Amino acid sequence: MEPILSVKNLQKTYGGKGSRTNALRGLDLRVFPGEFVGIMGPSGSGKTTFLNCISTIDSPTSGSIQVDGQELTKLRGKTLSRFRRERLGFIFQDCNLLDTLTGLENIALALTISGTPAHEVEHRAKEAAQLLGVEDVLNKFPYQMSGGQQQRVAAARAMVTKPALILADEPTGALDSKSTRMLLEQLEELNRQEGATILVVTHDAFTASWCQRILFLRDGELYRELHRKGMDRKSFFREILTVMSDLGGDDSDVL
Amino acid sequence: MSFKLSLRNVRRSLRDYAVYFITLTFGVCLFYVFNALESQSVMTFLSGGNNSQMVEAIFILVDVFSVFVSVVLAGLILYANQFLMKRRKRELGTYFLLGMDTGKVARVLVTETFFIGLAALISGVALGILGSWALDKLSVAMFLATPPDLFTFTISWTAAVKTALYFGVIFLLVMLFTGLSVSRSRLIDLIRASRTNEEVSQRPLALSVALFLLGCTSLGTAYAILLIRGLLRIDLLWFIMLGLGTLGTFLIFRSLSGFLLRLTKGHAGYYKGLNMFVLRQWSGKVHTNCLSNTVICILLLLAIGVTACSVGLNDTITAAVGGNTPYDVTVINYGLEDGTYQEADVAQLFRAIGVDPEENFSSVESVTVYYNEESVTGIIQPTIYAVIGLSDYNRLVSARGLPTLESWEKPVDTPNAIVNGPAADGVMVVSDEMIAQLQPRRQMVNINYKGNVQETDLLIRAALEHTESFGGDLWLMMNYKLDNYYDLMGSKLLVLYMGLYLGLVFLLTAAAVLALQQLSQAADNAQRYELLSKLGAPKSMRRSALIRQVALAFLLPLALGVIHAFVGMKAANDVINVMGHVDSVHSSLLTALFLLVIYGGYFLFTCLGAWRSVNQSER
Repeated sequence: MEPILSVKNLQKTYGGKGSRTNALRGLDLRVFPGEFVGIMGPSGSGKTTFLNCISTIDSPTSGSIQVDGQELTKLRGKTLSRFRRERLGFIFQDCNLLDTLTGLENIALALTISGTPAHEVEHRAKEAAQLLGVEDVLNKFPYQMSGGQQQRVAAARAMVTKPALILADEPTGALDSKSTRMLLEQLEELNRQEGATILVVTHDAFTASWCQRILFLRDGELYRELHRKGMDRKSFFREILTVMSDLGGDDSDVL
Repeated sequence: MSFKLSLRNVRRSLRDYAVYFITLTFGVCLFYVFNALESQSVMTFLSGGNNSQMVEAIFILVDVFSVFVSVVLAGLILYANQFLMKRRKRELGTYFLLGMDTGKVARVLVTETFFIGLAALISGVALGILGSWALDKLSVAMFLATPPDLFTFTISWTAAVKTALYFGVIFLLVMLFTGLSVSRSRLIDLIRASRTNEEVSQRPLALSVALFLLGCTSLGTAYAILLIRGLLRIDLLWFIMLGLGTLGTFLIFRSLSGFLLRLTKGHAGYYKGLNMFVLRQWSGKVHTNCLSNTVICILLLLAIGVTACSVGLNDTITAAVGGNTPYDVTVINYGLEDGTYQEADVAQLFRAIGVDPEENFSSVESVTVYYNEESVTGIIQPTIYAVIGLSDYNRLVSARGLPTLESWEKPVDTPNAIVNGPAADGVMVVSDEMIAQLQPRRQMVNINYKGNVQETDLLIRAALEHTESFGGDLWLMMNYKLDNYYDLMGSKLLVLYMGLYLGLVFLLTAAAVLALQQLSQAADNAQRYELLSKLGAPKSMRRSALIRQVALAFLLPLALGVIHAFVGMKAANDVINVMGHVDSVHSSLLTALFLLVIYGGYFLFTCLGAWRSVNQSER
């Protein structure tokens, strides 16, 4: 099977001559269609840099990133925007819904930007909302929703364009445990039913335990890889904790 | 330390301050230009002749208007300052957090205000000197064929000092307000300033429609009252008309967004590109903006109305200049001291003082008007002070190529002026037979020059000054064409200057308020546009969304303002109908030009600034 995301020898260096910081030093990884992958690592391990590179918000110093066989590092301007809106879906940590738009309109925005015919927009947005269980907040504005509802609306917006890859950056970071569980269940459902490929960056072991595979980063390199392989969530969770304590770094993040 | 901080702040936030600064500069510039009128060559020229009264009137009006204008500008500057403060709340919070005491923070801000004020004052006066020069050139050009050669580049120190004084007081006020608002602010409000969002409330469609219709109705009523009763009947109903107009404008702005939103929502275009986003952005701000939109709309109405009316009136006055002074000079002979009529050979009199009539005059025509005796003429109007014979009248007008009066049945008003100046009014044409029975009252001698009008005028004036005995015992009065002309030019300039002064200030204020509002909102919008970028909306799409958003904000008050002005000028037209039209093509064009340059300029500037602030992080 062809990988949907293939990263080869990815390097990212910040700063000039005097003070160089190597955020990523030759990262290699592959994600296949229909996978639910987690990226973990302590602060400073390069998680965010990695995500920024894949999401085309930042560009790497060297190496290659291919999504669906398309080389990202060579995209610029218009083609980049097009790639972003057609092939990628985003879920961010904090409020990333437009406060001036209703739930439905927030979901619809992703469609209207990509030029979906107007008569399809409402129907498809409602479908996505149903999948993530937010049909009842479609006419509410973000400030009228709970944090969990907001995040699920964001998830619906991320998948409504049927992207090749959904990127989630600490999606549960701002949520309480009940909302966290609900969002992750819906994401898992999305992954299973629709075959959506999801890449979650998190430092939270509980969130990570929903994934099928977890990649651990340390100092800009791939440190370890964990496969769930039919394990129940609790045992997987324990394994994650073990790796995390091996990793060291910020212990405070463990629990 | 605080001094250095202020200086650095100003330099760093130059872009934030740009609109504020430009508006200040324009305000100062306008203020200077109109207060520097007295140093203008045209004014010097006008006040040199017999027209000092008109010039005096211009100066007094400038003084009065300047007080009014400075109040308007002070309001604008305070408003702008408040916007800037709002934008910098976080920064102020940081100062407080770092342990700076209130006095010191206030000092930093006050110093900043001082620097900006000083810079604006200097650049404004500099620009004003240029503007004054341009206005001078324009005024001279309006003197049609007789541009005097006394054109100099002058700096009016009185105006500069006056400008500095007025704006100094305004800046002091601003500093006072700044200091006050700093000392009263609470840290928690400052730190959390950026997080408070306006709540978007959705009102039912029915309410929006009802409000919209109510707004239209009250506006329509106001229009009807204005058009039926005219502009100048100022009584209770007039104020009701004003109130209804304002209320209607307010209601329309208040309900328009909801109305439009609901109207377009079912429409396919709503879900196209960023249309939905633009509409929502606009309607989200409508509650804060509807009051200021109303004010802007009224300011625009005043700006358009005043500018167009003054230009229109100016055209009307120009048209009047030809008809009233048909001769280069008229000499009116009042007779002897006791009023006894005595005819004189005026050409001979001129020769006696050294002005050769053969050399200088192309025509000298003497005419006599007679006392009106009711028993003879049957004319009972008291305003008729004299009558003229039919053949005399025909002789005068036929020499000028004008239609003569052929058949004569009863006394008529003179269809064309028989002499220069007011002496031509109150004269009726009667039959030659009647004249034979009447006593002569005055001799009037109409003279046209051979050479240059101005030079010959000067020649005569100089000769008159050197002699005590022009006409001997006779009481003679000269009525020069140029004097009348300059008189009219004076009124012309008066109307035009005052109109432009007020019109430009109103226009500037309206545009600046809009620009400040949009720019400060653009800062809040930066996050939203960044998200759009992340969602893959290409640059061109975001840019057009932003432009449409700014355009909506600029065009809606303008549209309603233009409608108001149209109706208002219709009413004004009826008032001045006797003299001509104020809504001529010429005046509309000039007003449109001003609108385009100032309003359009601010629009462009706002678009650029807003785009810069939402597009800071871009790969």
